[in-house]
Amino acid sequence: MTVMASEKLGLVSWLRVNLFNRWYNAVLTLLLAAVVVYFGYRAILYLFWTAEWEPVRANLTLFMIGSFPRDEQWRIVVQLLFLAVAFGVIWGAMIGASRDRAAQSGVPFSAESGWVALRRWWGLVLLLGVLLLAAWGILPLVLALGCMALTFSLRLMTLRLPSGARIYAWLLGYALLIASWQIVSGTGGSAWIWAGGLLAFAGVRTVRRKDLVPQLQMSLAAIAVSGAVAWAFYDFVLNGLIDFSGVGWDDWAGFHLNLIAATISIIAAFPLGLLLALGRRSSLPAIRWLCVTYIELIRGVPLIGLLFIANSLLGFFIDNDPFIEFFLDTPLSQISRAIVIMSLFTAAYLAEVIRGGLEATPRGQTEAGQSVGLSPWQVTSRIVMPQTLRASIPAIVGQFISLLKDSSLLSIIAVSEILRVRASVHSQGAFTTLGTSETLVFIAFAFWAFAFTWSRESQRLEKRLGVGER
Amino acid sequence: MSTTSPDDLRSSHLGASDPSPLSAFFRDARTYRVAGQVVVVALVVVLIARLTNNLYGNLDRLNIPSNFDFIYQPTNFAIAENWGFDTALPRWRMLLIGLQNTILAAGGGIILATILGTIIGIARLSSNWLVSKLSTFYVETLRNIPPLVVIVFFSIAIFSSGPFPVFRDATELGLPFSDSNWLILSNSRIGFPSFSAERNIAAFWILVGMTFLFAACMWAWRTLKSTKTGVPHRRLQWSLGVFVALLVLWFFLLNGPYDWSWPARTENGRRLASGFGASSAYLSVTLAVAMYTASHIAEIVRGAILAIHKGQGEAATALSLSSYQRYRFVILPQAFRRIIPNLINQYLNLTKNTSLAVAVGYAELASLTQTSIGNGAPAPQSIILMMCGYLGLSLIISLIANVVNRSLRLKDR
Repeated sequence: MTVMASEKLGLVSWLRVNLFNRWYNAVLTLLLAAVVVYFGYRAILYLFWTAEWEPVRANLTLFMIGSFPRDEQWRIVVQLLFLAVAFGVIWGAMIGASRDRAAQSGVPFSAESGWVALRRWWGLVLLLGVLLLAAWGILPLVLALGCMALTFSLRLMTLRLPSGARIYAWLLGYALLIASWQIVSGTGGSAWIWAGGLLAFAGVRTVRRKDLVPQLQMSLAAIAVSGAVAWAFYDFVLNGLIDFSGVGWDDWAGFHLNLIAATISIIAAFPLGLLLALGRRSSLPAIRWLCVTYIELIRGVPLIGLLFIANSLLGFFIDNDPFIEFFLDTPLSQISRAIVIMSLFTAAYLAEVIRGGLEATPRGQTEAGQSVGLSPWQVTSRIVMPQTLRASIPAIVGQFISLLKDSSLLSIIAVSEILRVRASVHSQGAFTTLGTSETLVFIAFAFWAFAFTWSRESQRLEKRLGVGER
Repeated sequence: MSTTSPDDLRSSHLGASDPSPLSAFFRDARTYRVAGQVVVVALVVVLIARLTNNLYGNLDRLNIPSNFDFIYQPTNFAIAENWGFDTALPRWRMLLIGLQNTILAAGGGIILATILGTIIGIARLSSNWLVSKLSTFYVETLRNIPPLVVIVFFSIAIFSSGPFPVFRDATELGLPFSDSNWLILSNSRIGFPSFSAERNIAAFWILVGMTFLFAACMWAWRTLKSTKTGVPHRRLQWSLGVFVALLVLWFFLLNGPYDWSWPARTENGRRLASGFGASSAYLSVTLAVAMYTASHIAEIVRGAILAIHKGQGEAATALSLSSYQRYRFVILPQAFRRIIPNLINQYLNLTKNTSLAVAVGYAELASLTQTSIGNGAPAPQSIILMMCGYLGLSLIISLIANVVNRSLRLKDR
């Protein structure tokens, strides 16, 4: 293994140990150094002098949000602000929770400072810097710095909250996540189902936290009450007063769409993936075989093929069916079809990920649960699932990353995600041949920044959760 | 009650507390297990029947034929990687060519990705700081960029008029002391040397077959001898040596059945007259997919090596094995067993990823299906055929994987 510089070797001895310890290593080092210097020189020359960044600079908005209606752009700004607040609050609450746990078990705990986190996310910070440089204006700078200031100050504030009040921070975070979705998509129609679901979830969490028994009844009551409140709020307060119609996802585009399509797909795929994973390990043969067939069929074909299905086959299956029309607004739009198929695709992969977690959970856990007389449902939901999901989190993050990368395939079925936007940029008169590879480099960099940061986080989570070590 | 299973015990116990047999039936866990499965299967069957019914209804409504007769109709469009394909040939021939091109891209990609990935995976653990940092850079960059972007980048920025002017103009790289070229780089096709059949081909291949059998016998003989006497078998050296030596002998005895075909261009310079030409689309797909997969394979190799117990390497060092011997005889054989299942998974992914060629128009299965749909083939049936093609490929790779896995596991015991 490489001897690290931190072992305080002198420069010369460091060089000798790490670069010139054998004659063949010396030759390799010299050869590679020549290659690195040459290509580094060419890369710097390209990035800072010869590359034509004008198409990227002039179409930055297009790359980020595509043909999103321009008078509705404020929605995305507000979404960013909401997300910044939600992120700060949830982050602070998470650190606070682990600080409490550490205090309970008497382990020393030191929360890392925000600056350390920023350094870990250097990929995203670099992307932000590049975007600000390309946008070059006072407004984007203020927005970016404002979001960061919000996140970090709220993180600090939540961290200072007494542990009893932390539940309200969680609630605020969840509510803001939903609000950040609603502010763009509007509040009409099915959007309220999301809000109701979130409020119910938050309500259930609150009930759980307060340790009120009986939990199931309380949870159901919380769901009912929050649903009623959400509906009443919408019907009596909002509907009459403000027109809150937003921009449906059919009008979303650019990198914004890539990020959101991946997020929606992984969230929508999760319940199905969980069921498939449980079904695949079920002792009931018919259910097991159904799940295995689904998972293996989906995993055996490329996503492109499934997207072709979304594009030209899905309609044949679900159009002109009165029963389906009752639930869905068929024919579905291009983006809806793509998201449906991406969710079905991801469910098969998530099922395998969760199955891995299930297999990593020792059999003794289930047996212990059974021996104290828990029902199969209680064993699964109280004992197996918490451990399984905890063990699968890093792999689920990995699945999210690959979904984000796969969202670039949507360009092939003419959904205007970032690669498709690039094609439209180069159909503009001024840029037909100018900078065709520079726009690609920019897109690759945008994907890289997100995927790299998230994969680092997932590795960190894996270490922290001790996956594979117990 | 000598042969009662736990289930019988439970039901008889319940029966005892409640005399009604119907009630016992409803309290039996087995009832619910069967009923649950029946309900789920029935729901799935109803769902599939409903969807299929919709499919036929919608096909009828749009006057699209719901059979597979279209595969016998002429294709009516030209293919780039055509292997002598004529547009009047039926569509099933076109699909077979698509499958062939998929296999070519996947095969090339698998070979490249395995070599590159293994080298980079081992290089990440190198004691040479520069080597390990460079391979980390490779992995962290390539793994986090969508392969589609890489494919398009190769096709746009490298093989055509991009800023990386390697192939901007057709370049001919000549053999020393000769008029021939060993490589022709142009933005549509890349010419490699290949072989041209000259004379006595049939005789040559018959001899090759017999030589192969002979080498196999040699292998068996060496194995037998080694098990009997305990001398090192060296069967690979023996059989390979005999095989190559005889091959060279036959080659000269038959007066050179094959000759080099150096890449050369036709009069107008557009096409390759001889040599093997790989289109830039093929190279974009294969290279991009291989480089992407290599970054994953590198991680697998590294993980497997790191997972080998530290004591193994230390024991090898204690026996004063060199670093090459340590890897070759101690670490890699053990790592291999962990690598194989994940490696096969990556091969499957790579094969599926070749479908990204749709973006650059390499004529493989997915992109030919897309073109074919655009040319009037009914979409549902075309897509089903394409899916069957990919499922078949996946199945074959999985079968091979299972065979390999089983043989490795046998050695484990």
